[in-house]
Amino acid sequence: MNPPISPSLLPKQRPAPDKQVRALAWPADAGHHDELQTATGLRPLWQRFFQSLGPQGMGDLDARAELVLRQLRDNGVSYNAHASGQAPQRPWSLDLLPMLIGADEWATLQAGVLQRTRLLNAVLADVYGAGDLVRRSLLPAALVQGHPAYLRGLQGLQVPHGQWLPMAAFDLARGPDGQWWVVAQRAQAPSGLGYLLENRITIARQFPDAFAALQVQRLAGTYQAWMRALEQLCPAGDKPRIVLLTPGPYNETYFEHAYLARYLGIPLVEGSDLTVRDQRVYLKTLQGLEPVHGIIKRLDDRWLDPLELRADSTLGVPGLLQALRAGHVWMVNPPGTGLLECSALQGFLPAIGQHLLGEDLQLPALPTWWCGEEAVLRDATQRLGDSVVRSTYPGSGRDTVMGRHLSPTQRDEWTDRLLRERGQHTVQRWLPLSQTPTWRDGRLLPRSAMLRVFALSDGPDSWRVLPGGLVRLAPRGQLMASMQSGGSSADCWVQTRDAVDTTTLLPSGPPTLQQLRPGRPVSSRAGENLFWLGRYTERAENSVRLARLIVQNSEEAQEPSAALWRWWLALASDNGLVPEDPQHPLGAAWELARRVAKHLGPPAGHAAHNTSFSVGFNLRALHSAAAQVRDRLSPEHSALIEDLAMNFATQAGALAERSEVGMAPAQVCLRDAGLRLTAITGLQTDRMVRDHGWRLLSVGRHIERLTTLSQALLHALQADCLRHADGFDAVLALFDSGITFQARHQQRREPLALIDLLVIDRDNPRSLGWVLQTLRGRLDKLAQGSGLSSLSSHLPDPEQWRIEDWFGDPLNGQADTPLATELQACMMAAMALSDDIMRRHFSHADTRHQSVGA
Amino acid sequence: MLLRVLHDTRYHYSADVDVAQHMVHLRPRATDTQSVLQHHLSVSPEPNSSDEVIDCMGNHRRFLALQTRHHDLLLRADSLVHTQPPQHTDALPCNPPWEQVREHFRYRAGAPHDPATEFCFHTPATPWDEGFLAFAWPVLDSGMGLVDLALALTAHIHSRLRYDPSSTGVHTPTAQALAQGAGVCQDFAHIFIACWRQLGLPARYVSGYLLTQPPAGQARLVGADASHAWAAVYVPDLNETGQGYWVDVDPTNNRCGWGSPGEDYVTLAWGREFLDVSPVRGVIQGGGSHQLSVAVTVAPPDEWPG
Repeated sequence: MNPPISPSLLPKQRPAPDKQVRALAWPADAGHHDELQTATGLRPLWQRFFQSLGPQGMGDLDARAELVLRQLRDNGVSYNAHASGQAPQRPWSLDLLPMLIGADEWATLQAGVLQRTRLLNAVLADVYGAGDLVRRSLLPAALVQGHPAYLRGLQGLQVPHGQWLPMAAFDLARGPDGQWWVVAQRAQAPSGLGYLLENRITIARQFPDAFAALQVQRLAGTYQAWMRALEQLCPAGDKPRIVLLTPGPYNETYFEHAYLARYLGIPLVEGSDLTVRDQRVYLKTLQGLEPVHGIIKRLDDRWLDPLELRADSTLGVPGLLQALRAGHVWMVNPPGTGLLECSALQGFLPAIGQHLLGEDLQLPALPTWWCGEEAVLRDATQRLGDSVVRSTYPGSGRDTVMGRHLSPTQRDEWTDRLLRERGQHTVQRWLPLSQTPTWRDGRLLPRSAMLRVFALSDGPDSWRVLPGGLVRLAPRGQLMASMQSGGSSADCWVQTRDAVDTTTLLPSGPPTLQQLRPGRPVSSRAGENLFWLGRYTERAENSVRLARLIVQNSEEAQEPSAALWRWWLALASDNGLVPEDPQHPLGAAWELARRVAKHLGPPAGHAAHNTSFSVGFNLRALHSAAAQVRDRLSPEHSALIEDLAMNFATQAGALAERSEVGMAPAQVCLRDAGLRLTAITGLQTDRMVRDHGWRLLSVGRHIERLTTLSQALLHALQADCLRHADGFDAVLALFDSGITFQARHQQRREPLALIDLLVIDRDNPRSLGWVLQTLRGRLDKLAQGSGLSSLSSHLPDPEQWRIEDWFGDPLNGQADTPLATELQACMMAAMALSDDIMRRHFSHADTRHQSVGA
Repeated sequence: MLLRVLHDTRYHYSADVDVAQHMVHLRPRATDTQSVLQHHLSVSPEPNSSDEVIDCMGNHRRFLALQTRHHDLLLRADSLVHTQPPQHTDALPCNPPWEQVREHFRYRAGAPHDPATEFCFHTPATPWDEGFLAFAWPVLDSGMGLVDLALALTAHIHSRLRYDPSSTGVHTPTAQALAQGAGVCQDFAHIFIACWRQLGLPARYVSGYLLTQPPAGQARLVGADASHAWAAVYVPDLNETGQGYWVDVDPTNNRCGWGSPGEDYVTLAWGREFLDVSPVRGVIQGGGSHQLSVAVTVAPPDEWPG
């Protein structure tokens, strides 16, 4: 093997010539088509590509690959291979180099895909309608009525304009002779429409010159035409509401659901967000029930409706199929299309094409033999050596068997099995996939590639092929390309002869159509998660600030005053910063600091109830609330929260494992967390649309702040803190108001001045007065137009507060002074308000349904 | 025979139910040997909507939606049915060898399609499992008439399995019931159908009722009966395309007949398996835990208890 060539050896200033590229490129494996080159030179598209790299030529490909990695990480692009909720999300893997497809070649592919889409649409219309194909034995009933994806309950379903297939995905691959083949087709809830967009945005940015030089067709126009068609085909008047239905954050492709929903400007909903009343579908929002007319679904059919399909599904919407049959809602795709995904179907499509369209299929599918047919069984068994055996039906738990890996004895066993088990198996010719170049450590390495393209409806009985696709790359030495088995992905550039379509759905910054479609409703579930996101952000900030104060102070030469010490112990225990440990009472400030540092993030495996309210717990809760509303947060927002959770867990984990904890690493850990939290707060205050969702987030924050501050102040009074210099300063620090106070009062430590600043002053965002005033404003807005009274009337009114009323207050810990009573009232009001909010806005959000049967 | 069937389904919930939707198959269908004279379904509390449709198998399927808060739900189906004695299976015009029937239902491109093929396919309760073939093996003979095979398999299940209501629940897998050698009528029917389909032959699941006689010297009691289930096999006339007959077999009681297992049987609905025709299934929001009680009374009206 040649040593990797260091980038510094590469010429800097001139376009990369043919020879140089070829010197870095490994040839494709024997028997595979090489996308990059022939025996005599680079293929023309790749030649153009490398000529257009810009002044740096190939010299900075490594740096660009690094940028791609970082961008994906920053945007939190992920794919959960085995979604469990516990396992960390796996970053999305994307190669630097796109796959290139020329204009003529694409025209051929496109025509073939469009023809097949029309055909599949007609097949669906027939198997749920007239039933001609099965009756004439053009299609075995075993692949229709015998297929678990066939939904009998939808026989006779009328879909708008006969549009059974508003989207279809085809997995294409190029064989050794350069011919393209259809390997598989996906119709139930194909993934890729979001990932391929993210891939495109990421990669096009790396090669702006090449992108322009190659005249790569853009994608946005097709998405836009699709959305228009969906709206037009929806069974509702002028302004149909379309939603994207996801199984939720634990799904492996949830990132893409959220991404796509945001790009298309439609709400991302889970089954529990929807309800069916009188055969109509509604979205549960903070304002009540809003009608839904179209559903883009990313949930597999069997989970859709627990009333008629799988009863144990908690992901679906009971009654959905009734609404569908009544024609009150339309789904993309309609349920029941999953039977098209059966590979056995391919063998029958050519004859069906003749029957239904009177046409030969332009784009061939891999030769396929369904073993349920006597006549083809012999053929199929004889070809085992260069074929794969697939299970005809999904969910059999059997893997695909590669014929070439079978020993002669095993092959005989399989022949017997095919005869015995008949229609359970399908034999398909194995295709050595073409290999496209990838950039790895300074080399161009070929990888087997499969291209998923999408046909998207742009009107009744009309489709467009999205000019691009999701390329999946097999890991080195593997024959299958799949994201599930650890593969990687690539962008796909399709050249156009005509002018490039410059439609864009990206106004600026994060992609969204939202600007075009204002007034997006806030689902009750999203509202609830935003509320908790607000509460946990504030709670995390407060606990980080308190922990920092305690840790910092332990470095001081002087021990704290007895008053401050009492205050700290009370707060540390209230906020769960130190576990209860009666055996080892804390005697000194450094002991407290050490114990706080050791328990910042409790070690993994602790039951949640032991760890509640530690800094680590709050950050984890913040992270999980954010994960539930990912579609409402900007990518930076999600990325920051992700970063915060991961970094803190690592740093705090390291602290917990040490026997002797130094204060410096704890300080670093808390400072980092504090900075990130400040940035998150900034995004929440500055960068979110002021809708009811945001208002709830803000209400959540202020409820939390009201509780924490009034409680801390009450403790300070009880501990007699304000009459000691160090206690006085610590209270100001916890309220983040030290600088303001000093500016006003210099070094004087007047307790009543402090009370004025922290309680009454409605210009100080850390004062109770300001918090209450803000809360009242938000609550009034929330109630506007709802016909309900504002919840603000239950809150204490800071305008009634007069500092004079507290002149006589000794501020030394007596429980029943007017100020202490007022602080207690604030705490009670915060708790009561939280309950009221939940009852008023979220009560139907968490009522999960359950199935019953006799 | 004139039979009245009173079928009560009662849910008691530990907490309020806010919204509920149910799908029920409680109206007996008309068959060659049975006509439905009266049927009434009362639901309490009153549902907000109640829509009956004919499902793809020709059964009466009703959707109920309740949006009023409730703690209890009562469904009472009251039916009056006139049943005729089925014909004896000996009277069937054909009894083709079972292998020929299997061939008839195998797919060949361009060959005529028999709609009963639908009942050859495996379902979750009647899955592909060679264990069913092994179980049926002792009664299987080459060249055996299809009807004879059906009767033999019915008797085989009846003699080899124990009827034991405590042995299985609604969701017990059929293979497990077979392995433990015990079950209820639903399991017996599923085992029969699973064996039949494993042989490549069409059979369907029938849900209904059976008139039972009280023990000697005791009075008939209200609610003492239960729903019943059995199977039916399709016998195609291979000489005459498109012609075929359904023979009902009840492995639980080892009864059979052409049209129904007997005059004392009431057919409710049929499908590929239990899930297609479950008498009552629903989805509720709220409710906490629930208690379910089902009471069925089958009797001639003039012998109606109480």
